[in-house]
Amino acid sequence: MSLKFLIVDDSVTMRRIVANSLRNIGYTDFIEAGEGKEAIEKLVADDKINFIITDWNMPGVSGLDLVKSLRSNAKFANLPILMVSTRGVKDDIIEALQAKVSNYIVKPFTPHVLKEKIEQILATV
Amino acid sequence: MAQLFERLNDLKSVFKYGQKLIPIIQSLLDFMSETVPLLENINSSITESTSKIPKAANQINNVTNATELATTEILDIIDIMLNDIIEIEKQLEDISKIKEEKKNIISQVKQLAKNKKVDKLLADYEQLDDFNNRYTLISELISKIKNNSNNITLSLQVQDITSQQLAAVNHLINSVQERLASLILNLEETSIGDIDSNKILVPKGSHFDPNANYSKSDGRQDMVDSIVSNHKTSQDEIDKLFS
Repeated sequence: MSLKFLIVDDSVTMRRIVANSLRNIGYTDFIEAGEGKEAIEKLVADDKINFIITDWNMPGVSGLDLVKSLRSNAKFANLPILMVSTRGVKDDIIEALQAKVSNYIVKPFTPHVLKEKIEQILATV
Repeated sequence: MAQLFERLNDLKSVFKYGQKLIPIIQSLLDFMSETVPLLENINSSITESTSKIPKAANQINNVTNATELATTEILDIIDIMLNDIIEIEKQLEDISKIKEEKKNIISQVKQLAKNKKVDKLLADYEQLDDFNNRYTLISELISKIKNNSNNITLSLQVQDITSQQLAAVNHLINSVQERLASLILNLEETSIGDIDSNKILVPKGSHFDPNANYSKSDGRQDMVDSIVSNHKTSQDEIDKLFS
């Protein structure tokens, strides 16, 4: 399965780090968005995007709002969404899971953890 | 007449009471005259501090921008390094293929020559050519460099985490400034020069995690994994009930 990732994060640094990590584990096809609204626009415009990696804390449409918005649309109901966030409190993680993120990574992360979570998600798709 | 004397007596007691009150009023006035300059001092100190707050907030924003720029530059260098490593790996693979071809040629020469002296020379040549060991050594070094660059990338995530912490500090500073400004307005009817223009610029909808924490410990991700796993198990059970 060929994967095209959409990396959503307001931090340029984090987008670069996620992109570097993806390249490091063998995935080279990805585009970026700085917040949720831009992500939705890019997702609608590009049918090839089949995996989202999103931050939670972003100005405008947050990562959590993005997930809720996508899950409410039948077209994106099963789209793999991996949340990568600094939020490591149990209640936050449960909130993200209830919004139906596919999996969750707490920052800082290693490319190894990223690979593991992507593979876990793909195994359930 | 009796009533008049009664009223005069009342007046006398009022005056007596007033005489007793005068020193108290005097000390109150003294206290006020000493306190007012003190309050004015406090007021001007608060005004001065309040006007300095936006500068502090801007400096924090500058720090965030500078660290983001520096981090991006480091990531650029890591990108170049990783691309170079990929090229080295490709070159090594090519060398490995050439080595195999050389091996074939040597074996053909051996067969064609059928000469002990040639065999000996070729054996010596092969011994000199310590390619396999060098290949392993170089591969290990490459792997080490890759690991180190991964560790640098991991450490650079601290920039995002600290920028969220600094955003939280800015938010706090903003709240303090608002409180101080309202305090000054209450103390004195006059407002500080340009309270509105002094206001800290926090982007609308700015969102940050005030508890952002930089920790390389595996424990945090393990905890997340355990919550995810428990949630999925209970969700599966719910799904089974309804299917």
